[in-house]
Amino acid sequence: MKAALMLALALTAGAAQAGRSCEARAPDAVNVQRAMTLAEHTAHALDASGAQVVVLARSGQDLTRYGLAWSHLGLAYRDAGRWRVVHKLNQCGSAQAAVYRQGLGEFFIDDLHEYKAGIVVPTPAVQARLLDTLSDNGRVTRLNTPAYNMLAYPWSQRYQQSNQWALETLAMTQEPAATSRERAQAWLKLQGYEPTTLRLGALTRLGARATAANIAFDDHPNEKRFTDRIETVTVDSVFAWLNRSGLGGTVQVIR
Amino acid sequence: MKKNLMLRFIAPAVALALALHAPVRAHPHASDASMLSALPIAVSVAAPAMIFSGGVMLTVVAVEASADGTVWMLERASDGARASVTLSAAAAAGLSVAAGTAVLVTAFSAGWVLSAAGRAIAYIPNEIGAALLHNERLTR
Repeated sequence: MKAALMLALALTAGAAQAGRSCEARAPDAVNVQRAMTLAEHTAHALDASGAQVVVLARSGQDLTRYGLAWSHLGLAYRDAGRWRVVHKLNQCGSAQAAVYRQGLGEFFIDDLHEYKAGIVVPTPAVQARLLDTLSDNGRVTRLNTPAYNMLAYPWSQRYQQSNQWALETLAMTQEPAATSRERAQAWLKLQGYEPTTLRLGALTRLGARATAANIAFDDHPNEKRFTDRIETVTVDSVFAWLNRSGLGGTVQVIR
Repeated sequence: MKKNLMLRFIAPAVALALALHAPVRAHPHASDASMLSALPIAVSVAAPAMIFSGGVMLTVVAVEASADGTVWMLERASDGARASVTLSAAAAAGLSVAAGTAVLVTAFSAGWVLSAAGRAIAYIPNEIGAALLHNERLTR
């Protein structure tokens, strides 16, 4: 039970961390240097790519046991020669989250599992449709739902996790009719997006729900939930879909 | 942008970086797949050139409150050269830095990290580092 619970908690903002209050704790000096160096290398790589917009991922947690290389997704764009990342952050393991615009430094300053960046460059047409929205605070937050669930169901609008916000916002920019979360999700289905299916047993689900404020399962359909299939939006599933659909290239890894 | 740099003795690179970098608000304690660390970014620095060389050990000789936040006076043992580093009160709140604390300066491509016992107590961005920093909350 304990081991199973910890598996689930590995998905939850490093739940060991996420469950606790937001205590201020100075980061390891070496990690600050590694994060800022990664941010610098990423900026160089993005400059060299010629792109104006990229889909950017970090590896905050070791999710390899689930077959996942990345944990968190943001939409990065060039703004007056500097790269900015718009992404959604959960607050201190609570059931709430907010959208931020940050530098590459803030994006990577964290106790990352692995100091690497994942980049997918969308096609020029996809980038062009994203670019104006990313600098517009009203538009870029239009599909944000503050109610946060680390394992939110991809086809529900009750909660929204970070990767889901990024994916739905991308959809909104590509399809003029995708003016709501429901419509953005419909477009994503139509375009062949497939979420990751995690196998989480009943005890794991129960433990996670009881322990972490930022995990819920009540947005998942019963027939899936009770057969231990928890679908959610992962970075890896978004990257795979972008490439499969022709909307973006292959994943480039920067260290 | 509020100018709160002490102009005497400012190392040029530090001054440039800080001029480019608006006073930093306390970082949000937010997380997704992990908790965003509370990185204390220096609001301003006044220091003679070269005191922030990699590998230099400094000692905190005083910790003072100012209108801009918390000011640390640092001294280099070898020649008594002094530097002051200002952090926002919120950034300094979680740090246990007092007179007598030994501070190691690490220089790297994006600036300097000041650390005590392996923990980063301040990050001082240079021009490269400042270009990589921005923090803006878009929703409540």
